[in-house]
Amino acid sequence: MADSGAAAPKPSSSVKLVLLGEAAVGKSSLVMRFVNNDFQENKEPTIGAAFLTQKCNLPTRTIKFEIWDTAGQERFASLAPMYYRNAQAALVVYDITKPSSLTKAQHWVAELHRQASPGIVIALVGNKADLAAEAAAGDELGDDATEDTDAAPGAEGEEDADADNADQRRVATKTAKAYAEEEGLLFFETSAKTGKNVAEVFTAIANAIPEASLKGPRGAAGGQSSLGRQEDARVNLGSVRPEGAKEGCAC
Amino acid sequence: MFNLSNLVQKAQQFIEPALPLAVPASNDQRPSKAALFRHQFRLPDSQSPLQEITAELTLSPHHSTRSSSSESTTGEKERGQGNHYVGKLHLSEQYLCFSTQGSSFLHSASLTSSSSFTGQTHGAGPAGNGFTLPLCAIRRVERLHSQSYMFALAITTWNGTPDSKAKKTAPSGQKLTIQLAGSRQQCERFCDALKRGLREGIKDVENLRAVVAECYSEYLLIDDKDEAAKEREHPDTGLGMIFRYPGNARKLRDATKIRLWKEYLRENGRSVTLVRQPTFHKLIRVGLPNRLRGEIWELTSGSFFLRLEKPSLYTETLAKFSGRNSLAIDEIEKDLNRSLPEYPGFQSEEGIGRLRRVLTAYSWTNESVGYCQAMNIVVAALLIYMSESQAFFLLSILCDRLLPGYYATTMYGTLLDQRVFESLVEKTMPILWDHLVKSDVQLSVVSLPWFLSLYINSMPLIFAFRVLDVFFLEGPKVLFQIGLAILRINGEELLDATDDGTFISVLKSYFSRLDESAHPRSDNPKLRAVTRFQELMVVAFKEFAGITQNTISEQRAKHKDAVLANIESFTKRTSIRNLGPESKRLSVDDLGFLYDKFYAVLYERQQRAEILEQEAERKAKAERTKASAIFAPSSGDNVQRGRVALGPSPTEMDYDAFREFLAGIAKWAITDSPSSPEQENSQPSHSYFGNSNRNRPSTSPWGSGPEPADHEFMRRLFRQWDVDMTDALSLQNVVTGFAQVKGTKDIMSNISYFFELYDDDGDGRVDREGILRISEALLFLSRRGVSQSGSPAASTTDVNSGDHAEKGNPDEQFLSSVSAFIRRCFEYADPDHPSHRGDHALDSATKDMDNFAIGEDDEDEDLISLSAPTSPAPTQNKDLQTSSEDHTPLSPHDSIKSAKAKAANLALDPNKPLYITLPTFRMVILADEVLEHFFEVGFSSSFRLASTSPPSHSSTASNLTTFSNAGKHAAGSTAGGLGGVVGGAGAGVVPPSKGLRGMLDNIVSDGMRVAAEVKRRMDEAQKEMDREARQGRDDEDEDDEPSPAKDADLLEGAETADVETAGKDRLPEADLLVLTGSGSAGGGRKRSASDASRKVLEFER
Ligand SMILES: Nc1nc2c(ncn2[C@@H]2O[C@H](COP(=O)(O)OP(=O)(O)O)[C@@H](O)[C@H]2O)c(=O)[nH]1
Ligand SMILES: [Mg+2]
Repeated sequence: MADSGAAAPKPSSSVKLVLLGEAAVGKSSLVMRFVNNDFQENKEPTIGAAFLTQKCNLPTRTIKFEIWDTAGQERFASLAPMYYRNAQAALVVYDITKPSSLTKAQHWVAELHRQASPGIVIALVGNKADLAAEAAAGDELGDDATEDTDAAPGAEGEEDADADNADQRRVATKTAKAYAEEEGLLFFETSAKTGKNVAEVFTAIANAIPEASLKGPRGAAGGQSSLGRQEDARVNLGSVRPEGAKEGCAC
Repeated sequence: MFNLSNLVQKAQQFIEPALPLAVPASNDQRPSKAALFRHQFRLPDSQSPLQEITAELTLSPHHSTRSSSSESTTGEKERGQGNHYVGKLHLSEQYLCFSTQGSSFLHSASLTSSSSFTGQTHGAGPAGNGFTLPLCAIRRVERLHSQSYMFALAITTWNGTPDSKAKKTAPSGQKLTIQLAGSRQQCERFCDALKRGLREGIKDVENLRAVVAECYSEYLLIDDKDEAAKEREHPDTGLGMIFRYPGNARKLRDATKIRLWKEYLRENGRSVTLVRQPTFHKLIRVGLPNRLRGEIWELTSGSFFLRLEKPSLYTETLAKFSGRNSLAIDEIEKDLNRSLPEYPGFQSEEGIGRLRRVLTAYSWTNESVGYCQAMNIVVAALLIYMSESQAFFLLSILCDRLLPGYYATTMYGTLLDQRVFESLVEKTMPILWDHLVKSDVQLSVVSLPWFLSLYINSMPLIFAFRVLDVFFLEGPKVLFQIGLAILRINGEELLDATDDGTFISVLKSYFSRLDESAHPRSDNPKLRAVTRFQELMVVAFKEFAGITQNTISEQRAKHKDAVLANIESFTKRTSIRNLGPESKRLSVDDLGFLYDKFYAVLYERQQRAEILEQEAERKAKAERTKASAIFAPSSGDNVQRGRVALGPSPTEMDYDAFREFLAGIAKWAITDSPSSPEQENSQPSHSYFGNSNRNRPSTSPWGSGPEPADHEFMRRLFRQWDVDMTDALSLQNVVTGFAQVKGTKDIMSNISYFFELYDDDGDGRVDREGILRISEALLFLSRRGVSQSGSPAASTTDVNSGDHAEKGNPDEQFLSSVSAFIRRCFEYADPDHPSHRGDHALDSATKDMDNFAIGEDDEDEDLISLSAPTSPAPTQNKDLQTSSEDHTPLSPHDSIKSAKAKAANLALDPNKPLYITLPTFRMVILADEVLEHFFEVGFSSSFRLASTSPPSHSSTASNLTTFSNAGKHAAGSTAGGLGGVVGGAGAGVVPPSKGLRGMLDNIVSDGMRVAAEVKRRMDEAQKEMDREARQGRDDEDEDDEPSPAKDADLLEGAETADVETAGKDRLPEADLLVLTGSGSAGGGRKRSASDASRKVLEFER
């Protein structure tokens, strides 16, 4: 698992990344999937924000993500500036089964545009894609099925899910994508549960970080990578499932 | 005079409210002496300092100070003299307190001397050595015949459960001897007050018994020989009893600690009767034994006294809200499984259940805080050592006093203390601070969890509890001292860390090795035995001994404004973004402006209400011996609610607040007849002039702003905007409302909007009354002039070249336009279909009643009025009204000759219902250029938001004269004086010399004017109709304008002869308001409406 060998020759740099989004959209799950390739109920009590690190190997360089996973309750939102301050990247997450979460995500995007570092790379992420019918072909289907929610993402699902196993998607891909394009955001639909697109998001972010804004390896005496692994080990309670290991990011 | 200065002092507190425990730099911002007193002795908010006197406490011979190291009981005889402590003896309603920290809370004492205890405490906590005795725990007080002529009291306490058996088990009781040092008079006063308190205290003995019985100390001290008592149930000392206490009891030397405590408690009293001597504080410093931990936490934090006050509050709260749901409960539920999951107790339903109940109960008693993540962790920790009820009270002490604002909905306390912590780091460790700044590491992301969860989540539990032991005794400064010590100890390594990750790792690994030796390589075995945690404690309390509660308070005061401003701007951004698509029709500046105005009004109103409430409370205080509710918003701590950053503030405005809000935005919403302060305000009249000082929230009902008008139009607007029918407007409602009014430049939609305001049942029709009301509203809105801003030159020329060719100022033009409006409306109105009418019979009857006031006094000619020719008494109105409705079908039709006459008559005949539709309304508006202009720009620009300057009072004043100008030919008009004075009144300041006359004039004219004007227009309309009915309609409305002279006559009449009638008119109207408004309007407003009318009446006499 250790990537210390691979990391050595390539230039490596740290990127501070913050996760924002309504409670329960799956921020922690996404991080957990990315860092430990695991999906499980979060037992770790987070106060303010949880801090994790993970490396991402690109062909030309290694990016070490320092991830701040902000905590759930609405009132903690006023602490958010503390975490997105000087972040180089942000993952703004919504839940594709919950239109209000996209609205919230849009607020976060506006907030970041206004308050965060100017060059911040923002990815809009629609999580829980596994809950959409035909997750693979879901994009087209989703568009048709949820056309009517396009105009008003704030309106809570108008048509009721006919059955529990049916399509629970309430935010059309098209809607979110259009918004992301308009705002110049990266856009992905992911599933922390299946691992779909999770590594891709981080890889895309890593690629999108302008070379110039990389500070080079922060921290002095190369102890970083071991410290990083320590973090990981602490959270990872030993149930690493190999399924769905992603290329692009080595872990 | 006393009242006034008191008020001023309070008012200042509101502007610069001090945080609890805060002692800001300048004198006038300090917390009250009562608050300081309560904080020193950890007393409930019901207590206030009544008496105090310098005194010497002598503990009877068998009490001994023992250093924690000496475990022997030898040498008792040598200490025959006992221990002496000099300090202050304080008496509150229910407590007798003694402290060696000699602070004074006398009324005459300066705040500096009152707050001196927040300084250096030498490990003894703010209360120092001494006691905090509930009066109900005193069994006897004897006056000793002292050698010197000093007053000496011997106090015998209930040492042990105060029950009948106690006589046996504690034959001697606990004796404290206190010598009072003061003049004979002072001593006697003190003793008298004490006597009264003791008498009162008897009724609290019940509570005392219940609470003390739950104390472990009682159980611990049971006489070994007392077999009966031995069978007593072990008190609930937390989950640790079932699931073991964290840590290795042997390593923690728990048994030894218990023995030392047993000894201390036996000699110094237990629970309520405990006397604090230096040993007490030392025993706390070395870590509390498991089973006593809960009780000592309760005593040192003061939550014990809350529990004593309401022993069953916890169970009662649970019972009261059982089965109810709330957002807090949902949030609690999510976190139950993530609260100290490593402790076995919280892997069981037993522990989870306790945690759920305590958090839920607290969320009900303090709904403004509800539940905040991190409380779960703190409460979970408490529950290991104490019962649910104990944890519940301790949690409330934490939230209300020890961690103010930490868990509030904006978490301002958390953010503030992070800022304070950062500044302390900067001060005490400048090199490390520079390094942090250089490496762009934000300290608070690391330290925030330390504070928010009291280190419980950061350190291994056993160490976190040691920190808590000291924290409850010494207060919030401990959190800072520990935090600084952590950084100091790890300074070297931290200087190597240049990113968040490394920084966090260094500290994490430090925390995980707290039990290791601090000097593993030392040759000195003693030094080797020192653990890292012990080192931490030493560094924290020795090296950072200079960090006192004073330091913290000063720093809090220093950074508070910046932190609050940050939160507020964040909240503002967020909430403006949350306003939804409608809000996009307004500019960001306008939205910001509305946001500020909206919350400013709510905030100011709340502050004013609270000042008044406190004043009332203060007056009532004398009669009240006991606070009714511990959790009731306490004075002092809560005075600052309302500021957005401080947590839940009101988010909705009622109608009165809406009026005040509008008055700040639109000129027409400012009243012409400000009420006199003496009448509206319970405050002494001179306080009114305090308004001139804008820095103080005024105690007049409308604050320092202009007093708002109360017009039917405003009520309609309110109702229209109140889309969710809550009888209150949220910011969302207000913004949506403004978006409709101001968000469009389209005259057609403006016209429709206005029409809809008056289409009560939404059937697309506005009936006769509605038409009259519209016209009245138009006059109301234009009475301070209509904005010419749109295209002033053009519109003026238009108007002048229009068919109302006569020269006149814009206001006269407006008057005639409204007149023409009414005429045309009736002209083009459709007769209502009888069947349609039936549905609305009752409805319109009520409206007719409302309308009554407008035309009633028009005796013989008024075709509009529904009233019978004779002016009926108010009570008869209803009958008359209904009967006229009944007679409708019988109305003679044969008298109408021509079709036109018929139409005209129909229009004016109250028995012939009619209505206009939107197209008609639109046509009528567009037919008149003045009105057209009004709907195009005038109306929407009468609301001034960010882009335009707010209405200045001077312009208000000058514009206000317009109505007088309109009637400038009227004899005896006081136009000039009127304008100036009213302007002053609008600004909330009436120069006493000129004020009365101006006010009188205003009240009269306000009461009369609109009614008179409308009535006059009615007359004209009617005359014209008559004429038309006679002549047919050959020529379009031409010579219908009354001559100025006639105009003046009417006005003159209104101001002189009709005064009394008009006054009478107002009364029924006011009563009607009560009738019709009962569905939607608040009670307070109704009263104020009728009060205002009555005032009119009074002034006219
Ligand atoms: N079906 C599904 N559930 C998910 C996914 N991601 C997270 N969840 C669930 O959503 C809930 C909230 O997840 P969490 O990561 O705690 O959300 P956070 O509050 O944003 O950190 C948990 O019950 C997760 O199991 C996903 O991709 N698919
Ligand atoms: Mg989370």
